[in-house]
Amino acid sequence: MNYPVWQLGFPGGLLIAAVAVLHVFISHFAIGGGAYLVLTERRAYSQNDSELLGYVRHHSKFFALLTVVLGAVTGVGIWFTIGLVSPEATSSLIHTFVWGWAIEWVFFFVEIAAALVYAYHWDTLDRQTHLIVGWIYFVAAWASLVVINGIITYMLTPGRWLETGKFWDGFFNPTYWPSLWIRTAMAVGLAGIFGLVTAMWEPPALRERVVRWAGWWLVLGIAPLLPLSRWYFHDFPSYSRAYFSGMYPQVRHALLGAAVCTGVALALALLFALLRPKVMNPVIVAVLLVAGIGVMGSGEYLREFSRYPYVINSYIYANDIRIGQVESIAASGVARTSPWVEGSAADPRADQRHYGRQLFALECGSCHSVDGYRGMRKFARGWDAKFAGEILLHLPVVRETMPPFAGDAHDRAALGSYLASLAPAIPSGTNDKEIGQQVFAIHCAMCHSVGGRRRPLDLKGTDPEAIAGMLGTLSDINPNMPPFTGTDAEGRALAVYLSNSSQ
Amino acid sequence: MNLPIPYPDPMPLPAPVWLLRTLLLLTFFLHVLFMNCLLGGTAVALVCTVRRKSSAFSVRLAGDLGRLLPSVFAFTITLGVAPLLFLQVMYGQFLYASSILIGVPWLAIIGMVILAYYGVYFFSMNLSTTNRHEKKGRTTVVLALVVLLLASIAFVYSNNFTLMLAPERWLDLYHSHGSGWNLNWSEPSLVPRYLHFVLGALAVSGLGLVVMGLRQQEDAYRQWLIEQGSLLFTGTTLLNFGVGFWFLVKLTGPVRLAFVGGNAFATSLLGVGMLLPLAAVAHLIMAKAHKSPKRQLVVGVSCGLLTVAVMVVMRDVLRNLALAPYFNPNQLPVAPQWGIILLFVVLFIAGLATLYYMLRKVAIATRVQAAAAQKLQ
Ligand code: HEC
Ligand code: HEC
Ligand code: HEM
Repeated sequence: MNYPVWQLGFPGGLLIAAVAVLHVFISHFAIGGGAYLVLTERRAYSQNDSELLGYVRHHSKFFALLTVVLGAVTGVGIWFTIGLVSPEATSSLIHTFVWGWAIEWVFFFVEIAAALVYAYHWDTLDRQTHLIVGWIYFVAAWASLVVINGIITYMLTPGRWLETGKFWDGFFNPTYWPSLWIRTAMAVGLAGIFGLVTAMWEPPALRERVVRWAGWWLVLGIAPLLPLSRWYFHDFPSYSRAYFSGMYPQVRHALLGAAVCTGVALALALLFALLRPKVMNPVIVAVLLVAGIGVMGSGEYLREFSRYPYVINSYIYANDIRIGQVESIAASGVARTSPWVEGSAADPRADQRHYGRQLFALECGSCHSVDGYRGMRKFARGWDAKFAGEILLHLPVVRETMPPFAGDAHDRAALGSYLASLAPAIPSGTNDKEIGQQVFAIHCAMCHSVGGRRRPLDLKGTDPEAIAGMLGTLSDINPNMPPFTGTDAEGRALAVYLSNSSQ
Repeated sequence: MNLPIPYPDPMPLPAPVWLLRTLLLLTFFLHVLFMNCLLGGTAVALVCTVRRKSSAFSVRLAGDLGRLLPSVFAFTITLGVAPLLFLQVMYGQFLYASSILIGVPWLAIIGMVILAYYGVYFFSMNLSTTNRHEKKGRTTVVLALVVLLLASIAFVYSNNFTLMLAPERWLDLYHSHGSGWNLNWSEPSLVPRYLHFVLGALAVSGLGLVVMGLRQQEDAYRQWLIEQGSLLFTGTTLLNFGVGFWFLVKLTGPVRLAFVGGNAFATSLLGVGMLLPLAAVAHLIMAKAHKSPKRQLVVGVSCGLLTVAVMVVMRDVLRNLALAPYFNPNQLPVAPQWGIILLFVVLFIAGLATLYYMLRKVAIATRVQAAAAQKLQ
């Protein structure tokens, strides 16, 4: 409301996710890889293994190139992106944690300098000093995780901060520790993948040694993930734990994806890195790499999804509207709250649909597109303006992941008429049951299912007349239900459909 | 007219304005120095690779720059992050709004930085690994692209940092292109401001060449570097007097007035900012005639760097003057987080010490190696 909306044509959350997954992958890899390089270097010295030393040396340059450039710049990229997509929330984060970020910046600075010195001064520095620089790199990289982890977890579980507003209450919040150790374990695992990828360039004898060594990293990184995730999940806010109860197919799929990727990675690591390192080849390594990205990606997705409908839990909604603002916007209307919308819903001369489209961008666009991801046209098929205006009163009932609509009656009417214009359709069919099924899809299916998990309706055998009568009283049955806005004929068809369908 | 200026964040500032401003200006000064050396340095490297056939020193300088520029790039970015942080705390409501309005070019900066960064690495690695001619041709092309990318990045920055000062233009841009495909073309001072920065960058990289020369043992190359650097600084700085004047003329009335007498601080900054570069130029020219020019050169370079510092402060004064009708950060509520600020200061010092430790180790080891190599000869 306070800021203009960047109208990308697809949900801004998707853009954040794209930049974030890339960055998260590289930055965790940068942490674990640091430890991997120094420990491998030390191993090479203590075993007097000049081949192994040549290997670390060679790949340290590639490592620096990847982390210093892509890792660092994509980090800046996330920051740019969240500022564009959620300025209100970004501003809030910056005000709360600017000194946390300033501290992270110190580590970032040391990290980059150490990476450059480490990679480019093998010949200049003596062994001891070179190892120390490597450790400096690793410690600085991990320390920046220690800092940023506090800010990331705060968004999901701000904990006591909500009452006290104190830095440390937000920082050491309920999910701080499990998240820190999960991320550390991931970093160790990714270091193993880095080891395997780089090993593929080496001659067979050395390759085998490196594969086994890197395999340990991989296994060590993956093994604790399951117990750590349980601990993490245990401290999730209770509202979002409900998302994992099977109601949301996307959550089920992401969980399954994470489990499969972890399992595959662990099995491959045990089999082809520890037991049969000779067999390890670029194809298996590629599978491991993809599995690694899969684990990271689904983990990030679940964390983001669990935060819905908020961007900062119980403080700012994902559409960048402050919780405390919703009531005042409902009282005064969007046009009087946001200087960025053109026209006004109260003005009868204004183009209502144009105004409604702006409201869509403002309140729904961060999660929904029109035709693409979570496309609204498909969700609003067959809606009439009255029904659309009604359903806007119940968005958190439709999905717990959605913030309430913020606006007055004019705003709802305008957004409703825009939504209804997306895919107007009149139910058609050869018999009442067919028509009834479509009416159900239009008017009830966003909240109910027949034979599904979401608020299942089982009215089989009930007298259609009774059902049709009940349709006139839906809001009395439960105030969370919008009144039925279909025609009498549609109501009768719906009643026939319901009385003939069951679990 | 009702301007769509977002209200500032309801949370109080986590530190007093003087502290935030000091850190903003300090880190931004460092960012500018590195950014200038990067922008100017890649341009110089480009000229050197083009002239490689006719000048042996050019080949050598390209090599030296190839070794330096990747690190300069890394520090440009790292030192850009800090001012962005402090800027957002103090002026967030202006910066977020203007960034969104030019969202596409603004986010494209990230892609351009990555590409330019890899381009610089490409240049750097090709220098050390091959000497074949075809590769050199490719290096020239890559370098030219890098210069173009860096110049474009700088242009987007100039757009955003002028647009954030002009809320009267926001609604039009938003309603014409809500998708963020905008630039701040209708800003009268955009082009002179940008040129002023770019010429300044070339000038500062000239100073960089002088410093490289001063650290050089071999006489002829040293002489050449100092000469080329002085020439670059002098030429671009004289041009920049003209561009600076153009910039001043294009500022909005009240802001311009402040700089020409209306505001004592702004006016004296402008005065000092014009005298310092003159002093720098004078010393660099005097050094030419001198037998042991080191002192003159050091004074000249210092005056040049001081000029940059003054310009950084002037830029901040300009911003505050332009925003004065709408906003003054001094009026925001403040609730300093002293404990964490202290932690930051401690860690910052520890970080500097670590940095010093590493660079010193490298310097010592390099010297020892150079001495050993000399003995061998
Ligand atoms: C915080 C993100 C978020 C915001 C903001 C949001 N939604 Fe949703 N919405 C969701 C999610 C997640 C779903 C579930 C989608 C799915 O299951 O594919 C959903 C589903 C829906 C559905 C039901 C789709 C069905 O199953 O039939 C409707 C209708 C809907 N949203 C309308 C809106 C409208 C209108 C707005 C703006 C006023 C809005 N949403 C804002 C996240 C959001
Ligand atoms: C905005 C969401 C929403 C929509 C749309 C909606 N309902 Fe409901 N409905 C509810 C809620 C919430 C309840 C309360 C019971 C629950 O939570 O399971 C409920 C309860 C019911 C009940 C009582 C069920 C029982 O077991 O007690 C019936 C019958 C029903 N709805 C029918 C319908 C029909 C028919 C439609 C379509 C015309 C419809 N509802 C549309 C949200 C909705
Ligand atoms: C790498 C190439 C870069 C170049 C060529 C560059 C160039 C510039 C230029 C020309 C300006 C001044 C614009 C004006 O006032 O008209 C500027 C300002 C600024 N840059 Fe950079 N920049 C680069 C990278 C970055 C990065 C990566 C960041 C941050 C993450 C950054 C942060 C800033 C900030 C915060 C300012 C403004 C400070 C203030 O207004 O006080 N820069 N940059």
